[in-house]
Amino acid sequence: MNAWYRTTAVLLLLVSGLVLQQSVQVLRIHEDGQPGSGFMPFGLGLALAALSLALLVKHRRRDAERRPFWERRAWLHPLLAVALTAGFIVVFDDVGAITSVAVLVTCWLWLVSRKSLPISALTGVLTAAAVHVIFERFLQTPFPRGLLF
Amino acid sequence: MFDLAGLAQGFGIAFTSVNLLWAFIGALLGTAVGVLPGLGPAATIALLLPVSMKMGSPVTAIILMSGIFYGAMYGGSTTSILLNIPGEAASVVTCMDGHQMARKGRAGAALGIAAIGSFVAGTVGVIGLSAVAPPLASFALRFGPPEYFSLTVVGLLLATYLAGDQPLRGFIMAVLGLILGCIGLDPLSGAVRFAFGVPDLMSNLDFVTLAMGLFGVGEILVSLEEGSAASILTTTVKNVFPTLADLARSGWAMVRGSVIGFFVGILPGGGAVLSSLVSYAVEKRVSKHPEEFGQGAIEGVAGPEAANNSAASASFIPLLTLGIPGNASTAMIFAALLIHGVTPGPFLIKEHPDVFWGVVASMYIGNVMLLVLNLPLVGMWAKLLKVPYAFLAPMIMVLTLVGVFSVGNSVFDIWVMLALGVLGYLARKLAFDLGPLLLAFVLGPIMERSLRQSLLMSGGRPGIFLARPISATLLAAAALFLAFGAWSGRRRRRQAAPA
Repeated sequence: MNAWYRTTAVLLLLVSGLVLQQSVQVLRIHEDGQPGSGFMPFGLGLALAALSLALLVKHRRRDAERRPFWERRAWLHPLLAVALTAGFIVVFDDVGAITSVAVLVTCWLWLVSRKSLPISALTGVLTAAAVHVIFERFLQTPFPRGLLF
Repeated sequence: MFDLAGLAQGFGIAFTSVNLLWAFIGALLGTAVGVLPGLGPAATIALLLPVSMKMGSPVTAIILMSGIFYGAMYGGSTTSILLNIPGEAASVVTCMDGHQMARKGRAGAALGIAAIGSFVAGTVGVIGLSAVAPPLASFALRFGPPEYFSLTVVGLLLATYLAGDQPLRGFIMAVLGLILGCIGLDPLSGAVRFAFGVPDLMSNLDFVTLAMGLFGVGEILVSLEEGSAASILTTTVKNVFPTLADLARSGWAMVRGSVIGFFVGILPGGGAVLSSLVSYAVEKRVSKHPEEFGQGAIEGVAGPEAANNSAASASFIPLLTLGIPGNASTAMIFAALLIHGVTPGPFLIKEHPDVFWGVVASMYIGNVMLLVLNLPLVGMWAKLLKVPYAFLAPMIMVLTLVGVFSVGNSVFDIWVMLALGVLGYLARKLAFDLGPLLLAFVLGPIMERSLRQSLLMSGGRPGIFLARPISATLLAAAALFLAFGAWSGRRRRRQAAPA
């Protein structure tokens, strides 16, 4: 896993660089002799840079044996779930909250959980109904209206 | 020392039908999430933050959330004993002897003693909370900005150091949490920080979005990768009431576990996991039959289960008296209090006695409810383990999505939550503990405000933190703690090197 920690350390160094740049160039470390809005972020940027370097040094050695980040195709289900959720967010405003929920649950159960389409669709409709009752009726959440509801 | 009038007021509040109902729902939900592997109390409280915002009273909201927190400590043992999978991080130790007892046909006795130990310790913890919190809050009234800065530094250091076995990664997460806490409006000057022209980021990153993303979505993604263990329950549960011999063997273990849990639980980051580990080590050391540990010793279940419940109650002390949450779950409760306009800290008991004593009294009642829920109904919880996670996962995801939308009516917040969920998933895969990030995000604004106010008071001289006795003592304690941690870590590495 050392290679992954080294990659993480480099990414964190980039983040610390961005924080330091913003603190110095966009915000002010000092204002009228007093600590300004960039004071704390500047300190945190330095701390993150130091800790990232420490992580880099700690994992500097090459791995004795290369182990993959994911075991065989273990990334597939999380990736599918993220893709379906991203799709849900994209259509949320246009299709409407309740219809989006029904479609998301149906697709998730069918594609990720490998349940039969009728069972998936029934669960999707029941979940959407529960969301409608709890959030729209009970909690009065103003969901976007869509094609059907 | 013991404010009986306050406690009586608290029972008056806790015994209203609404609060009794929410305490019961909290205990029920807490036990359920404790039983189910993959969804912890922090994630559940995060999921319910939007619901709590719709509740009119902060007492009712906190009663629900604290019920989930300590209820999960009860439920976590069920999965540990029956499946050898900790339902909760704090129940890891219970697997060792609890599951061995189950394999020998004594699952009922193990579950029974875990429930009784949890009840005894939970009650001891709440009595300690009632006794210790008011004087500690009075003492904390002397705190000014320098003391608060030092306190947040100590709290964050301890929480980060004690919570995980990788302090470097914990510190990185804490710094990241502090940076995320800087996004949006600067609390003192009003300048916009790290918004990069995105209007939605100008009004600070929302705690609910962060918590639901990192804990809710992150846990779902991890569970999807790991798959569910819910289908492997084969053990049957009978005779949950332990025998007199069992009670005689485990009585002192419960008492020791309760005391250990209380003192370790007060420390930020100490919490339920560390206290159960300490309790197990102590029980093994004082036992006349240490060789039985790991083979189904009942003291190995009673002690740690008592310790983690006592620690859960004790962790409310720094939260309610100093405004310093010690773990992810109490950080969520901290945020919920702020959402309801109640600032946790030394003034809470004076300004909102109804919140403090109402919540404390509800814990006494909640513990009784949990004993009833966990002792005779343990068979029902075991059946819950047969619900396939395949069905639960999309429903939990839907709850997070519509929950986050309901807080700010913003689709942008849902995108942020999904991004944070992916970040939380990757962090878990790389064994970065998310607790310090969340704690730092909560403590960051307090830390920054008190730091800058202190420097304003002293004309920019940092010596103010060492010139004031309480602040200097706190910083010295933090320095000593870190030095000891570094020394013991180096010694461990040296001892391990020749092997």
